[in-house]
Amino acid sequence: MAIKVKLPNGDLKIIDDVNEMKVGELLEKLGLLREEYIVTKDGYVITDEDVVVNGDEVVLYAVVSGG
Amino acid sequence: MVKCSFCERSAVYLSRASNIAYCKKHFLRYFDRKVRKVIRKYGMFRGKEHIIVAVSGGKDSLSLLHYLSRLSEKVSTWKISALLINEGISGYREVTIKDFLKVVNKLGVDYSIASFKEEFGATLDDMVKIGNERGLPYLPCSYCGVFRRYLLNKVAREMGGTVLATAHNLDDMIQTFMMNLLRNNWERIARLGPVSGVIRHPKFVRRVKPFYKIREKETTLYAILNNLYPSFVECPYAQLNVRWIIRRQLNQLEEKNPGIKYSMLNALLTILPLLREKYAEEEFLTCQICGEPSTHTICRACLFRKELGLL
Repeated sequence: MAIKVKLPNGDLKIIDDVNEMKVGELLEKLGLLREEYIVTKDGYVITDEDVVVNGDEVVLYAVVSGG
Repeated sequence: MVKCSFCERSAVYLSRASNIAYCKKHFLRYFDRKVRKVIRKYGMFRGKEHIIVAVSGGKDSLSLLHYLSRLSEKVSTWKISALLINEGISGYREVTIKDFLKVVNKLGVDYSIASFKEEFGATLDDMVKIGNERGLPYLPCSYCGVFRRYLLNKVAREMGGTVLATAHNLDDMIQTFMMNLLRNNWERIARLGPVSGVIRHPKFVRRVKPFYKIREKETTLYAILNNLYPSFVECPYAQLNVRWIIRRQLNQLEEKNPGIKYSMLNALLTILPLLREKYAEEEFLTCQICGEPSTHTICRACLFRKELGLL
């Protein structure tokens, strides 16, 4: 089991060394800024303070536009 | 699960600056109130308006088009149209045009697409290539910014627009503020108000920024919650711009000091009246070549066209 993270460019990151963590911590672990991403789980937006656990799949949306 | 500060629902947004959590319903209400307040405070729209929304196909401008289109349903004397500028950036703009068309068709909004190729005889990609071959010192964003602003004004006027609404948000404003501060360019800073400030010319379409006090994270969330979030695609030239670095640094600052972006915007709003006083007398001239508004006898777009051999 692991936490799967789908990045805006379609890449998938796997976090398999923790059982649960806050979304903000997850972003930090991936070297990303909370300011620059919105996170969804099962199609619903969640906040930086929400907790994700092993088996969850989250999708990241980029706040920073590339134009 | 983080709960909304106003009801029992799950939060979708946590404002670290104010420590308030919002569910979808209360976030959209907060967003709406915040934008309306800006529109009202700065007198952005009058009783009868043909509002041209500058839309790139990105999340911010699609959100603005959606927001104003909804708002205009309550004001029968407002007409909303969308205007997209196709710079001609291979692998980028064709993707955002698809997202643009999807939304304008869904909203039933009239639209126009103007292109660099048709207006100036070359795409942005062509201009960058020619500029490099001729050894010109400009970055792609320099051509893009000048020609895009030129076309937005010209085509908005030709469409019969009485006001041009752009989706510049709080983050855009403080980035531009910082960029011009670093260049000691106070005259440019004087133009960074929520409504176009010191520019006076009969051919200039008044510009307004209804998202002036909305953070980019909030416009993004508005787009996601309204199913407007477009395909993820990045302009190939964006990382060449100093804005890219400043944006990252401001985001890092905000991460460690929540609320610092609001402070910066307030700093800009504090200095603006003083700058407007200093630059108030400036009248725009008319470009001797193309007849469009200009700060000089020949406008920047015509100067670029000359240097690129397009005139």
